[in-house]
Amino acid sequence: MASTPHLDPASAPIIAPGHTFSSVTDKIASIVLARRTPLHWFLGFTIAFSVAQLVLLTIVRLLFWGIGSWGVTVPIGWGFDIINFVWWIGIGHAGTLISAILLLLKQEWRTSINRFAEAMTLFAVVCAAQYPLFHTGRPWIAAYWLLPYPNTMGLWPNFRSPLIWDVFAVTTYASVSAVFWYVGLIPDFATLRDRAKNKLMAMVYGIGSMGWRGSARHWHNYESAYLLLAGLATPLVVSVHTVVSFDFAVGVLPGWHATIFPPYFVAGAIYAGFAMVLTLAIPLRAWYGLKDFITDRHLDNMAKVMLATGLIVAYGYAMEAFFAWYSASSWEIFMIRNRMFGPYGHMYWALILCNVVAPNTLWVPRLRHSHAWLFFISLVVSVGMWLERYVIIVTSLHRDFLPSSWGMYQGTVWDWSFFIGTIGLFVTLLYLFVRFLPAISMFEMKTILPGARVEEHHS
Amino acid sequence: MSALYGLMAEFHDPKAVVEATEAARMAGYRQMDAYSPYPIEALSEALALPKSHVATICLGGGIAGLVAGYGLQYWSSVIEYPMNIGGRPFHSWVAFIPPAYETTILFAAFSAVLGMLALNGLPQPYHPVFNVPAFAGASRDKFFLCIEAGDPLFDAEKTRAFLASQPGVADVAEVQP
Amino acid sequence: MTNATHPVPPALERMLTSTLGLGLAALAVCGLGALSSPDQFLRSYLFAFFFWVSVPIGSLGLLMLQHLTGGRWGALLRRFFEAWSRTLPAAFVLFLPVLLGYAKIYPWAHPPADDKIIAHKALYLNGTAWAGRAIFFFALWSLFAWLFSKWSAEQDRDGLTPGLSSRFQALAGGGLVTLVLTVTFASIDWGMSLNPHWFSTIYGVIYLVGAVLATMAVCIVVLSRMAHEEPFLHVMRKDTVHDLGKLLFAFNMLWAYMNLSQFLIIWSGNLPEEIPYYLARINGAWGALGLFVVLFHFVVPYAILLSRDVKRTLRLLAPMAAWLLLMRLVDTYWTLGPDLAGHHGSEAAAFHLHWMDVLAPVGLGALFVHLFLRQLKSRPLVPQHEAELQTEAAHAAPAHA
Repeated sequence: MASTPHLDPASAPIIAPGHTFSSVTDKIASIVLARRTPLHWFLGFTIAFSVAQLVLLTIVRLLFWGIGSWGVTVPIGWGFDIINFVWWIGIGHAGTLISAILLLLKQEWRTSINRFAEAMTLFAVVCAAQYPLFHTGRPWIAAYWLLPYPNTMGLWPNFRSPLIWDVFAVTTYASVSAVFWYVGLIPDFATLRDRAKNKLMAMVYGIGSMGWRGSARHWHNYESAYLLLAGLATPLVVSVHTVVSFDFAVGVLPGWHATIFPPYFVAGAIYAGFAMVLTLAIPLRAWYGLKDFITDRHLDNMAKVMLATGLIVAYGYAMEAFFAWYSASSWEIFMIRNRMFGPYGHMYWALILCNVVAPNTLWVPRLRHSHAWLFFISLVVSVGMWLERYVIIVTSLHRDFLPSSWGMYQGTVWDWSFFIGTIGLFVTLLYLFVRFLPAISMFEMKTILPGARVEEHHS
Repeated sequence: MSALYGLMAEFHDPKAVVEATEAARMAGYRQMDAYSPYPIEALSEALALPKSHVATICLGGGIAGLVAGYGLQYWSSVIEYPMNIGGRPFHSWVAFIPPAYETTILFAAFSAVLGMLALNGLPQPYHPVFNVPAFAGASRDKFFLCIEAGDPLFDAEKTRAFLASQPGVADVAEVQP
Repeated sequence: MTNATHPVPPALERMLTSTLGLGLAALAVCGLGALSSPDQFLRSYLFAFFFWVSVPIGSLGLLMLQHLTGGRWGALLRRFFEAWSRTLPAAFVLFLPVLLGYAKIYPWAHPPADDKIIAHKALYLNGTAWAGRAIFFFALWSLFAWLFSKWSAEQDRDGLTPGLSSRFQALAGGGLVTLVLTVTFASIDWGMSLNPHWFSTIYGVIYLVGAVLATMAVCIVVLSRMAHEEPFLHVMRKDTVHDLGKLLFAFNMLWAYMNLSQFLIIWSGNLPEEIPYYLARINGAWGALGLFVVLFHFVVPYAILLSRDVKRTLRLLAPMAAWLLLMRLVDTYWTLGPDLAGHHGSEAAAFHLHWMDVLAPVGLGALFVHLFLRQLKSRPLVPQHEAELQTEAAHAAPAHA
């Protein structure tokens, strides 16, 4: 594309000019290797860690009291647990998208954000996992109806249920994401090992590096494995949210049973995930002086991805509404009417405002290039995506086929404390991550520096 | 001298190490390795490395995962404990697709990573190249070419002279075993 | 057209003549068939049209997509996409038999008096609204096609100015939103409403993905015929072919994903208003055809396209693309066939392949390709002043060295 060299973030460089192999290494490694921890880190960490204690508190209360602490009841048997689970899992998906799909698409701008996006994936999955783990209030019984192992009762999981598919999908996702992340970290651990200022750190990072020495023979296999992982993570991330959407769609409940759910859920996940990446990237690059690596171009590209996925989500809403009418099924028509104008109508319209109206302001270049506005919109989208799951789950359940069992749902203080606690847990893990691990992949940054690529000549 | 692991030349520029590696291969050296802070495809070419086997291992793992995942479901739902759930057939092949798909990816991904580590001989707590003090730069901004003593053409003097004559070489160091 | 200043590959000239002959001959025979069985002609013709019109539609989509994402593959195929999209006005003319004969094909045109479902949809599914929408869709798509081609000619003349670039981006962004919505409703109108009782919210997406897959396949095939001649010879590169192969692979996976999603959800729900669609398609001869589609549209091509060499070598990729194009046609037949034959969900839908079901797609396809080639020939075959294609030509080894 033609270039207007200045002021247009779309054509800004993906790495500020003037950087070399050594300056990239030093700048990124110094954040981790610095002896002194900045005060704002302690402050932020303390707050986040305190909030995270709500998770423990809620779980203790839950184990003593049972799920009566929560708002779920007949007919709304699914509440905050699954809302928050889907919300967190969705947020994680942008990390895999950035690290895997954009790698396959040769989008070099992804390089500087993929490491912390992957970290975000892992931490989001950790938060998401709390909900299915504890949603029965009796987590130890989960073992024999979730895990396929030969138990004394001779029972096996019901493989015809999407909930068991979810177990397979999410555990696979968590393990493959962790491995992908670790493989990306190996060469960087070697860098930290070689630059550590004391023996202990050298040893810890040395163990992480597995004795990596940058051998060309090793890189050869490494690159192959890394690309394969990206190739596997791409269909994996799509399958995970597809399976999450199956949790709803394979049932017969109006509002849940819709064939558009898989692609629309996947797009929604990426949408929420990019919103979260932006929420984190905008302050992170300011606090740690990483504007050379996370440039305006990155923010612009991410804003565009967010807009595009937001439009796909809007398409999903439109199809749901149109087909509810087109189906001529009285259940479907009642469901969509109730969703829009029933007791939770205000939530539906708030969701439309957050997820459909607000992101469309990003069409305007001036707004898209304003970091404050972008940050605000990314928060709005996170709220919108939470509302989306709330609306889908609660409005579909609360008006049963049988009017005598109709009811209303509201999260209790313990529902909220669990949710807020996982946000604290997420932020805590992020704080630990930026302090102890390189937040930007050093070896990959080197590959996109000018002069890094050596042309192959066939001799 | 006989106990030497090899001789290591240091470069400050990726092009130089690629060219030196190519020159070394032309000169007949085979038992050698280059070191760089990031992957350089041209180095693999210069060393004439054969196609990596990681992809084959990964494919094998994926097929094993598919068979294992589907087999587990078939065996437990059709043979071991058949149970009518929601009127669906014991062999609900449609429903068995998602878990089998996930195990395929799980096995393939772990095969790729473990295969890569095995082919690379990692983890490896000790390696002679770390005895060269400047080698710490290999993970930062320096590039190295090490011709190992095991090479039939290796000769401490001649090989040193050969390495020193390469354009762009910064230093040639002995690698103690 | 005769005094073209740009190189035109001889292969293109040859294809122009052969496709015109084939297309007119096949359609003429179908015209004779129409005299004896007009209803069957309309059904076969609709099936052929529903399939082939997906290529100009998919081209318009890919054209907009590549304006937004950039990439060398898009620059290389931009003229293909533009030329295909310029066949849309002609496609409207080819749509006229369906437009005039719709009442003979679509059950909602003469619903039974007691059919409450169709009565409920009458506001949407009635002849006037249906025809009005079709005219609107073709007019809108043609407008998009015209604007993109006009501006592309500007680029050939003056280079890609910043103003032009932002105009491209704006039209592509807004256009894509409009296109996805209009194609969704077009697919409901022309395809889904053949069975007015059935509905599936993913239908439009499945049609769109099928359209871009067919477009990719047909463009790869045509490109392979001319890759050894100018102006392609000096811009063809292995890694660009690799990208095309990867896209073909990805679109095919996406197609399988969307279809599996629809099938799995409807199979699991097993609701009386949805499951008849699949009961008619997974039993008997239709079921065998469905299995064939699963194996040879997805499983086998997937395994073959896993190979890096196949994706990178145009000589190997082109037959794969041609096969996938054929499979798109078979899949479209499987999708529409039972409904066209009037089997809305009996468990054992009779399978009856009429000779016009074969000849109509051949004739219409040849004619569409001919129209496409005429359009392709009228402009330089690769965009001029295109940074993607110029800067890298210097240090690149030609794909067919």
